[in-house]
Amino acid sequence: MILHADELPPGATLSAEICIVGGGPAGITLALTLARFGHDILLLESGDLEANDATQALNAGEVADETLHSPPDKYRVRCLGGATSIWGGRCMPFNPIDFEARPFVPHSGWPIGYEEVERHYPAANALCEAGEYEYDARLAVSGGMRPLIAGFAPMHFDMNGIERFSCPTHFGDRYRARLRSLPNVRVLLRSTVVRLAASSDGARITQVEARDSKDRPFTVTADQFVVAAGGIETARLLLASHDVHAAGLGNAEDLVGRFYMCHIAGTAGALKVVGGRETVWHGYDVAWDGTYCRRRIALRPDVQRQRGVGNVIFRLHHPRIADPAHETGPLSAIFLAQRFISYEYAKRLVSDAPPTPGLWLRHGFNAVRDAGSTVRFLTHWLRHRTLAARKFPSVIIRPRRNLFSLDFHAEQVPNPDSRITLGNSVDRFGNPQVRIDWRYTRQDVDTVLQAFNLLRGDLAEQGVGTLTLAPNEQDIETVVRRDGAYGGHHIGTARMGASAATGVVDRHGKVFGLSNLFVAGSAIFPTSSQANPTLTIVAMSLRLAEHLRDVAGRVARVRTAVEAVSAD
Amino acid sequence: MDTRTPVLVLGASGFIGSHVVAALSSHPAYRPIAASRKAAADGSRVALDATNPDAVRAAVREVGAVVNCLAGGEGAMTRATTALCEANPARIVHLSSMAVYGAATGTVREDHTPVQPVGGYGQAKIDAEAIVRRYADAGGQAVILRPTCVFGPGSSQWTTRIARLLQARRLGDLGSAGDGGCNLAFIDDLVDTVIASLDAPSGGVFNISSSAELTWNQFLLRFARALDATPVRRIPARMLRLETKLLAPARRIGSKLVKSPVTEAITPSLAALFAQDIWIDCSAATAELGLRPTPLDRMIDTSVRWLGPRPPGAPDARPRTRVARPGAAVTAGQAGR
Repeated sequence: MILHADELPPGATLSAEICIVGGGPAGITLALTLARFGHDILLLESGDLEANDATQALNAGEVADETLHSPPDKYRVRCLGGATSIWGGRCMPFNPIDFEARPFVPHSGWPIGYEEVERHYPAANALCEAGEYEYDARLAVSGGMRPLIAGFAPMHFDMNGIERFSCPTHFGDRYRARLRSLPNVRVLLRSTVVRLAASSDGARITQVEARDSKDRPFTVTADQFVVAAGGIETARLLLASHDVHAAGLGNAEDLVGRFYMCHIAGTAGALKVVGGRETVWHGYDVAWDGTYCRRRIALRPDVQRQRGVGNVIFRLHHPRIADPAHETGPLSAIFLAQRFISYEYAKRLVSDAPPTPGLWLRHGFNAVRDAGSTVRFLTHWLRHRTLAARKFPSVIIRPRRNLFSLDFHAEQVPNPDSRITLGNSVDRFGNPQVRIDWRYTRQDVDTVLQAFNLLRGDLAEQGVGTLTLAPNEQDIETVVRRDGAYGGHHIGTARMGASAATGVVDRHGKVFGLSNLFVAGSAIFPTSSQANPTLTIVAMSLRLAEHLRDVAGRVARVRTAVEAVSAD
Repeated sequence: MDTRTPVLVLGASGFIGSHVVAALSSHPAYRPIAASRKAAADGSRVALDATNPDAVRAAVREVGAVVNCLAGGEGAMTRATTALCEANPARIVHLSSMAVYGAATGTVREDHTPVQPVGGYGQAKIDAEAIVRRYADAGGQAVILRPTCVFGPGSSQWTTRIARLLQARRLGDLGSAGDGGCNLAFIDDLVDTVIASLDAPSGGVFNISSSAELTWNQFLLRFARALDATPVRRIPARMLRLETKLLAPARRIGSKLVKSPVTEAITPSLAALFAQDIWIDCSAATAELGLRPTPLDRMIDTSVRWLGPRPPGAPDARPRTRVARPGAAVTAGQAGR
């Protein structure tokens, strides 16, 4: 059932077998799965069914360098479904190399192997509505997908990997009916958790303290607690719960909030492909199950090892929208419509300096001169994006003269100095706000630089095309800084480790030093991979659900045994 | 001379009845007497007005059992079941339906009470079951079977209709509207349990289903793939509402005039079933009637083979547009495979 906390009697104490904090993709996956296993679940969601300003204001905080990282209230949504209410739907599994301890990537290595996560990818794909678990371009579409660039077989890159797209599925909308009908699930909206209270010996969590939307307190007791509040909020909650553990929960080794990673991502370069338009296919194909699929260019793992660089992929992209030199009507139409596009998408689509009247005029001229294309583009967008239930995933524009730019999406290496801390200001509940100090390293820049150089070499060697960087992109670090931290990917702040010296949580996601506190979501990823995190967040949550089923089962058996003894 | 026990099959020209007759024909211990409203020209079926008590009494006199597969209107169903029970045959195997559970949700065993709204058809099935129970209470031998959606070769409702709707892209991935439990009884499995019921202890009521833990979305995707009705379309919720609220009445009127995929309606009750969180439990039939469900892939393959090649005029399986149409300077390309 779905309730909201305002309905509770004042000072209420609720209890459940398992209490989940956060109703995003991780929390909803856990609730749905654990309910099927027969457990009694209470899921606390700070927001409502839809976001509202008052609750959204709880996300406020400060950013050390606003040119590098978006404000803390962006890309994070307090509502049932969390950030899946605004995500783009790109699904992509991690690669086996991401789980290895790589000597050239400091602090790398997961305490679990790839196969432990891969086992859950098919079900995660289904929950994300990204079709079947098939990420090979030769198999995803019957007869195989057409090549990205005909005849191009690069030495250093794999061209057969694809990304698949969710609808994009808003987990709150999609699974609301199921959550409502499950007899052993209670979803409590308008429930902002302000503190996780530890027992006096610090060994376990006894209850969470929460506030309803009218700021009235209530508490929840449970056998097991899971924090699934997102990569930033999870760190904040652990750090702010410091009455018994002075440094915060799980933070004896000063790891909570550190190793904060997004992705190093952006758009750069000019790729001129030799040959006619038929040489290049950079759009989407549709798999039998209706999923949109798209090829990508991935740096091969053996090359990563050999060169000592991180994981990285490229996609073919249309020219930068803000520059009217593309002379392309639809792109200029997007530029002109930027005020109607949400911050999260406008940032990546448009960006650059504030537009001047002259720039507006040039874009207006493009849109009018290329009116036929503009109208066709808008009609397609209306039909296959706005009105469709499975949405066409992104703007695909065929540029003039086979001249593309490149989207890159690269792993950021773990860096203890990139971190989330508690700031000096407080929210309306008196809880410290976050301070985000996202940092990249020389190695992150080097991953992108080497990948560009290798791709340029492969293209030239095979005579397929030329890749050049504009004068203002020659220093690749300026490109990295221009786009900054990829929005919405909040990773590593409660990392998984083999021991308390290297991780906040163990291989199951349990916080070291606390017997009944777990973390779900991308906060526990020790490394960031090339992949967008949502699919792996869901897969890891399915894995945690299996573990919690075993833990909760043991607790129930012990309880039965104790009751039997005391009855004697 | 055939020494096998005669079994009267009522509704023998129907989908389930004809399969029961076919299976009994080659059975070592039973032989079918097929009866329907109209006799078959080849003499394979005798004519019987099942609502006429005298005719029914005469028909059951010499048989070892009656299998009641009668369909028809709700009033006729009650009258025929009454006539049958009053004729007092040695044994009745009565085909009821999962419709008796109405809007029930969760795991549903045979002792589950009906949940409103039950619907006219479900209520008629409940009434018919009550008549059969009274016959059993009075000493008659009866077994009641409650099949789920009967799927397989010959099923116009759950095979042909669904296939047509998938091929027309009017059904597909339904999102949260298709999360309901897809309980399908494969026709062969149902026939096996009918025959097992001829020997089973009297008084049993059994759910009969072949699928477990299958949602409608999962089934529709697998069926569509086997039918080559791909890529499967994601049906927007507003489209489904339009279908059930506005188009269904019009299509039903149309279907009186012409039988075509266009007049195939997605009725409100069908849409409600797709979303109904109902999971039919068949452990009783597994234990007592030896129900061994056919695997879903085999159910689908057999059905697709029976459906045969796509009827002419059906929409093409290929997508029409995958990406934005090309323009002078802009292309979003066209899938061409």
